[in-house]
Amino acid sequence: MSGAQTKPFSRAWLLDPAPASRGQARLGQAYLGWLKLARNPLAVIGLAIVVALVAMAAAAPLLATHDPLAQSLQTRLLPPLSPGHWLGTDEFGRDIWSRLVYGARVTLYIVALVTVTAPVFGLLVGVVAGYFGGWVDTLLMRLTDIFLAFPRLILALAFVAALGPGIGNAVLAIALTAWPPYARVARAETLTVRGADYIAAVRLQGAGSGRILLSHVAPMCVPSVIVRVTLDMAGIILTAAGLGFLGLGAQPPLPEWGLMISSGRKFLFEQWWVATMPGLAIFIVSLGFNLLGDGLRDVLDPRSASK
Amino acid sequence: MSALIEIENLSVTFRQRGREVRAVRDVSFSVAARESFGLVGESGSGKSTILRAICGMAPVSGGSIRIGGAPAATGRAFAARVQMVFQDPYSSLHPRRTVDATLAEPLAIHGRGDRDARVLAALGDVGLDASFRFRYPHQLSGGQRQRVAIARALMLEPEILLLDEPTSALDASVQAEALNLLSRLRVERGLTFLMVSHDLAVIDHMCDAVAVMRDGAVVERLDRATLADGGAQEPYTRQLLAASAYAAPV
Amino acid sequence: MSLLEVEDLRVTFDTEAGPVEAVRGVSFSLDRERLAIVGESGSGKTMTGRALLRLIRPPGRISARRIAFDGVDMMAASERQVRALRGRRIAMVMQDPKFSLNPVMRVGDQLTEGLRRRDRMGARSAREKAAAMLEAVQIREPDRVMHAYPHELSGGMGQRVMIAMMLIPGPDLLIADEPTSALDVTVQAEVLAILDNLVRERGMGLIFISHDLRLVSRFCDRVLVMYKGRVVEELAAGRLEDARHPYTRGLMACLPRIGGDRGPLPVLERDEAWAR
Repeated sequence: MSGAQTKPFSRAWLLDPAPASRGQARLGQAYLGWLKLARNPLAVIGLAIVVALVAMAAAAPLLATHDPLAQSLQTRLLPPLSPGHWLGTDEFGRDIWSRLVYGARVTLYIVALVTVTAPVFGLLVGVVAGYFGGWVDTLLMRLTDIFLAFPRLILALAFVAALGPGIGNAVLAIALTAWPPYARVARAETLTVRGADYIAAVRLQGAGSGRILLSHVAPMCVPSVIVRVTLDMAGIILTAAGLGFLGLGAQPPLPEWGLMISSGRKFLFEQWWVATMPGLAIFIVSLGFNLLGDGLRDVLDPRSASK
Repeated sequence: MSALIEIENLSVTFRQRGREVRAVRDVSFSVAARESFGLVGESGSGKSTILRAICGMAPVSGGSIRIGGAPAATGRAFAARVQMVFQDPYSSLHPRRTVDATLAEPLAIHGRGDRDARVLAALGDVGLDASFRFRYPHQLSGGQRQRVAIARALMLEPEILLLDEPTSALDASVQAEALNLLSRLRVERGLTFLMVSHDLAVIDHMCDAVAVMRDGAVVERLDRATLADGGAQEPYTRQLLAASAYAAPV
Repeated sequence: MSLLEVEDLRVTFDTEAGPVEAVRGVSFSLDRERLAIVGESGSGKTMTGRALLRLIRPPGRISARRIAFDGVDMMAASERQVRALRGRRIAMVMQDPKFSLNPVMRVGDQLTEGLRRRDRMGARSAREKAAAMLEAVQIREPDRVMHAYPHELSGGMGQRVMIAMMLIPGPDLLIADEPTSALDVTVQAEVLAILDNLVRERGMGLIFISHDLRLVSRFCDRVLVMYKGRVVEELAAGRLEDARHPYTRGLMACLPRIGGDRGPLPVLERDEAWAR
């Protein structure tokens, strides 16, 4: 109908209430979500910060003014706004700005790895527990409770201590400690969905449990999990930084933000910038993910979307 | 010759916190092929539970359910014979799937091909044009949603349609359209209906025979002629009758 | 003078696509009688009921040339004056008692709360009055119900408790929004009998909002038929069969009748002109 007259990818085409193809329908939904997000100024700020982080990581060699690992004893502990080192240098004379820029790569690497593992695992555990109920539920949820009962950093510390220090093991440890909240969220969502008529309807069509879980129940839980992930992102970055700070995550001389704070600690009173600059970077990125998460909640929440 | 749906001494018992609740007590009836049978009663009378029991979604504690002579089962073969339309079109469609995905799903489960053509044909059958195909449920009205739900139930070309208050969530004018659609499809496809409603007038319009249920048991059975002649004996049936009539002109 | 007079009532919602009028110029007057407002979903019947109590939240706006309740100009009254009328002289019963009763408070405490706070009545006399009102709505064991929490009551019982609660202050006007739609026919009949009694004996005015033409024709005195925010027809409830407006006639015709023709039901053809 109206799809024939509108130009593809135009605004009217995207907002067409009667899309002509699967792709148009999906793009239209995404565009509506984007409009909703764009209306929330804080979420846009969050998005801008996250996009800036990604850009920084991608363009690190262009943005960095120095080699992040190059040491220079003549230029040790220069204060910010020194010529050639606008954020100053650390105790080995390395340029802090360049280290922050390359550090964005490490931070993104950790965040990306954790987010493709922990939420997926938590989602599966939660959906299975919620859908089957009974002893499956009891078993999985008690396991979740055990993981939840430990403070996250302590548990991560224990894992890293057992696996050995290093950034890969730090990611693994964080993922192992991060999944239980997602399992809880997914289970709660599954419990409300499992009795719904539309689930009964696919069961009546002869669908097996695997199909029902993966393509009917899980999609209903994904929005809450995604929102939870973006809200947790700050925590993940902080945990990674914490492990780095304690010397159990990234190893020197890698420019990891937590590690940078750790090494700057010794000069905190005289040369405050060494620890403060990476601290500010962690703060800004955490804030960015948090704001974005809050905004996404409004866009993805099925309750608000179904209206 | 035996009937298509045979229900004998069916009992359904739910266990709640150690207490047993008998939702259906010793109910028997049978529906011949291409016939339309109605169950009428209040909420909690057990009428919807019978439909759920047929689909294996309620704990049967006694009696038997046979479809075409064989005990009712679950799984794909059964799904291809018996389908259900739910009461509330707002909760029976997956909110994150388009109409297209909802209608294609049964075909995917049963490995049937030619999905595009079948989905379009099904939409046409329930009076929706192709522009509805990629819409999400929240972009549809209640009546349009129920049409999609009916189309979904018919995708596998079943013989039996279980209708659980299919129009009670709809406005009167939309109800009329949905009932007309169901009647037409029944004739065209030779379907057998087992319909549940609290509205005796709707049941009377759609069904050849009706069983009145209360507290899990059948209290009265009527055919259409008896009902029209005011032959209902039970006071409860008479109350239902009164509820579906206009005031006598003053 | 009528109990309630409404002239040119409008409810407007400001949306991103511009203002949308949910109620568009409704006028009627009510005496101590049973007036029905009938319409399909989206007809504005519920909004009309809420607007009478000024219960429309932003982005909704109410405007009217006049809403006069027993001589009081509701449009000019302060929020405080309206609050004093609400509950005490004008009461409202909603469709689902589950959302209207406080789930963590015993029924008895909810019933006596108003009496004790507003009327400064003693605990015992308030309980006695509440129990008497429960009896009046045909609850056989008022003491047991007073001690129960809302979730322990059945739907019909809950709705009767709601009605009792609304009636304790002795309102002059009751606005009932689909009060029986969630109830079964047997309970429905009892609740209607209670309402009927109140109109007759206490001279209360009743606005009965419903989608069910058949029910309304049996129960009410007068019917307003609403379509897209407008009253398209007003007629005596017993004379629905004489309805003139094609919308009313269409609504009646599309309902199946016992013993009726089995052919396709007449389908309502909507005419753009009705909404104008």
